[in-house]
Amino acid sequence: MKWTLSIALVAATIVLIAAGLFQTRSGGGTVGIAAGRALPGFAMRPDTPEHALTILLGAVQRRDWKQALTVMRTNDAATSEDEQAMAQDWQGSNGSLRTFSSLESFDLWPQHATTDEAQIRARLNWTTPVGPVEDLRDFNLTRSGEIWTVTLPRTEPPNVPAQIVPVTYLRWDLVSGNGQDKWGTHNLDAPRVRIISMNAVNSAQGVVVMGEVENEDTVPAFVNVNATLLNASAAVIDQENSFDKIAHVLLPKAVSPYRIDFPGLDLAKVKNVRMDIKAALVPASADPVIGVMDQKIEQDLQGNPVLHGALLNQSGQTVNIPHVIASFSDSNGRVIWVSDGYVDNALLPQSSAPFAIQIPRNVATNVRSFHVVVNQYSLENS
Amino acid sequence: MIRGEAYSRPIPLMAVVLVALAVHGPLLFMQLPSSSFDANFHIFFASHYVHHWFNPWNEKWFAGFSQTTYPPLTHQWIALLSNVVGLNMGYMLVQLIAVLLLPVGVYRFSRIWVDETASSYAALGSVFLGSLAFLVYQAGQLATVASAALYLNALPYFYEWMNDASFVAMAKGVAISWAAAAAHHVTLIFGIVFFAGPVLWIACQDAVHERIAASLAGAISRAAVFAVVVAAGVGVILLPFWLTLIQHPVHQIPIPHDSRANFLLHSITGINYFVIPYGAMILALPFILLRGAGTPRLRPLLFGFWLAFLFGLGGTTPLPRWLLGRAYDILTFERFTFWATLLALPFVGLLVTNLLRRFTSKAALALSLATVMTIGAALWWLKANPYRPTATVDVDPVVAFLNRDGHDTYRYLTLGFASDLAKVATYTNATSVDGDYNSARLLPEMTHYGSAQLTNAKFYGTAGMSALRSMLAHADRYGLKFVFVHDSYYEPLLTFVGWRKIEVFDHGEVTAWSKEDVPPAHQIPSDAIPPAWQGLMWGTLPLGASLLAIFLEIFLPGTRRAPLQFQMRPPQNEKQYVA
Repeated sequence: MKWTLSIALVAATIVLIAAGLFQTRSGGGTVGIAAGRALPGFAMRPDTPEHALTILLGAVQRRDWKQALTVMRTNDAATSEDEQAMAQDWQGSNGSLRTFSSLESFDLWPQHATTDEAQIRARLNWTTPVGPVEDLRDFNLTRSGEIWTVTLPRTEPPNVPAQIVPVTYLRWDLVSGNGQDKWGTHNLDAPRVRIISMNAVNSAQGVVVMGEVENEDTVPAFVNVNATLLNASAAVIDQENSFDKIAHVLLPKAVSPYRIDFPGLDLAKVKNVRMDIKAALVPASADPVIGVMDQKIEQDLQGNPVLHGALLNQSGQTVNIPHVIASFSDSNGRVIWVSDGYVDNALLPQSSAPFAIQIPRNVATNVRSFHVVVNQYSLENS
Repeated sequence: MIRGEAYSRPIPLMAVVLVALAVHGPLLFMQLPSSSFDANFHIFFASHYVHHWFNPWNEKWFAGFSQTTYPPLTHQWIALLSNVVGLNMGYMLVQLIAVLLLPVGVYRFSRIWVDETASSYAALGSVFLGSLAFLVYQAGQLATVASAALYLNALPYFYEWMNDASFVAMAKGVAISWAAAAAHHVTLIFGIVFFAGPVLWIACQDAVHERIAASLAGAISRAAVFAVVVAAGVGVILLPFWLTLIQHPVHQIPIPHDSRANFLLHSITGINYFVIPYGAMILALPFILLRGAGTPRLRPLLFGFWLAFLFGLGGTTPLPRWLLGRAYDILTFERFTFWATLLALPFVGLLVTNLLRRFTSKAALALSLATVMTIGAALWWLKANPYRPTATVDVDPVVAFLNRDGHDTYRYLTLGFASDLAKVATYTNATSVDGDYNSARLLPEMTHYGSAQLTNAKFYGTAGMSALRSMLAHADRYGLKFVFVHDSYYEPLLTFVGWRKIEVFDHGEVTAWSKEDVPPAHQIPSDAIPPAWQGLMWGTLPLGASLLAIFLEIFLPGTRRAPLQFQMRPPQNEKQYVA
């Protein structure tokens, strides 16, 4: 009985552990949870293209660049420079959004494969401070003996030459008689701001209220737009605000798109929309000046319509996280959609970076014009 | 006396308790657990009882929540002691009492299974458990430790009641069980399976084999009476808790916890939840298995241990998920490892006596090294663990800011404060929308996402950041005007959604952010506010149960004897397999 029971308990434990291994491999991890590499003997081997890429992306999730290099194709033994370049490629630099991001999960789609080469498309789901960011990327893999390795194009970091950039931007300071005064609470009249267009539509996620707002004053304004949905009996259904779908600081005469989402609601139940705009006087400057160039609506790798373009930092300071907000109008000049997107890379002085903003398919066909504004976060100014 | 005989004598229980005091007393008086994950949470709960003993509705977290969602005994004792020694030291004292009760409980529980010498070594081993050090100094699970210690003390009375029909034992066992439940509900629920189950089984087995005077029917019927009385008492003592649970069952999205990971695939997690808690006991696992399987009387204990062992492996096996269902995603599993080590201690006591009998001083030296290394590794891990809780936030300026100039008329949020969010809440008058107790959350901005505290939002990835974005979007609704940031990760989000930095504390370590036009906080209507009668029950019955247990132990000392003078011998024809 002693040996029978002992063997039975050990066998049951081993079977359960094996079942646990199978179950875990098919599940996903969570950022910051469940740490460390697999124990020897339990790690995945890069014996297929999918396994090799899974090992690479798993290492990126853990920021384990040494392990990532084990499935990267390198001509010689991996050096510390390779590791550094690899880390910079995946981790970002210059305080960009990527430096704040973590790879949360990924999905793989094999595109084509031969016995020695394969191409896999990966959807990379990044978690960032400004919300989830999705990235589509194609990976080329080659077989070396029994194992597969990933070939990644080496991206060279932008090299900005030393130069003097003249500073000619406008700037508004706020002078108070009392140093204890807080921002925005001075006894001054609020700037004149106005909603110049508003449209409410049903979307896949719920009701969307959008439009554009203008600072009509000669001083900068901090702006927030609120919307309240009312039903037929004038009762409040829900109240939301523009959150990050607006450029909150508007310079004089500047216009910003805004969008307010009401998830899970149906426009048919809404009788009225009450708009409320709040404005406060704030110090502001026109620097950094960011130009928007080469804007055009195209299709991405999956065939979805996107607004592509490039941002050019015309100033002398680094813009760490650019935020692009665009309003799309139909032939009547009515705003029919507002969309936004954050740019992964930092904008170094006098350098440019591409951007892409998704547009719903049903909206894209009706778009006749668009208006793009750029919001930004700079570590220097934070 | 020859040297071998000296090693075969039992260690006096008082000596074991003094060892526990010598080992853990200094560590607790140094307030080592103050940087643990949950210590600030327990102190925060206790601070509420200091000011509102009979009103469990606490406005300081989640825009209002009921403290009837967590059994109050340890918190109320901290609150009582805090009037003399302050909250922090009150916590340490209650923790110390639990730590001192544990070897007593282990000794008495072990006496059901093994002889006096082995039991005394089991009790001594409990002082040096890696899992105990892990729970006390890293996890800060005061209630789990206290409840387990009480429960172990109650079980011998349960066994004695089944055997001897001693009403004194019944009264003491019931009172201590009530106190254990008032300290921690989860321990009681699972303790029935892991601890009480084997005890019931062995009582029945002893009755069948006529090792005790009681008949099988008598033992079972007395067990049923005991269970009914305990259940009825727990039902009444924790009535507000059950009513809250029925009214608001935990329906939130599961929150990830690394104790549910597969330890084989995540090495650091494996070290944290397996190697450190078990320590040198890992070497004893073959002995536990073989001796448990080979000795019929130890088999119930072996099964209890094995089940707790498997549960303690978290997501390494699918068994907990299969057996617990949805509860799997609510529970954390480090406590199961603690229970497994407690259930293993009688075996370890046997192993130690065998080793000492055969190898005397050599064994004593090796065992001493093993025990010291086990607790030493757990204490070393406090600093070596890459995911250890860090207490680097100076919360004083934040508390001072909130308590001046009417800032406490608004709600606030901390970001990057980890467990120090509870420390801010303890000492400020202002209220927060965040909090550190998942089961008490009712705000949809928190329950609709698979993340825990907003202050740790980034560690929960997209779910955490979505919860934070949702809360910031509804800042006006909750009167949320101030955000304190101790992690620059969150600054881009605050900037883009229209918050402005207004003050800098502690040389830039902490920044205060504000939003304009936020109306002052108002009470958020809730159906979870307990009525006054529940507050009265909550303020009297749990503490009353513990006082009753203390009085019965003091004034009814007559049955304080080993529940069964049972001499364990190796099974016949069994070869020595130790060493």
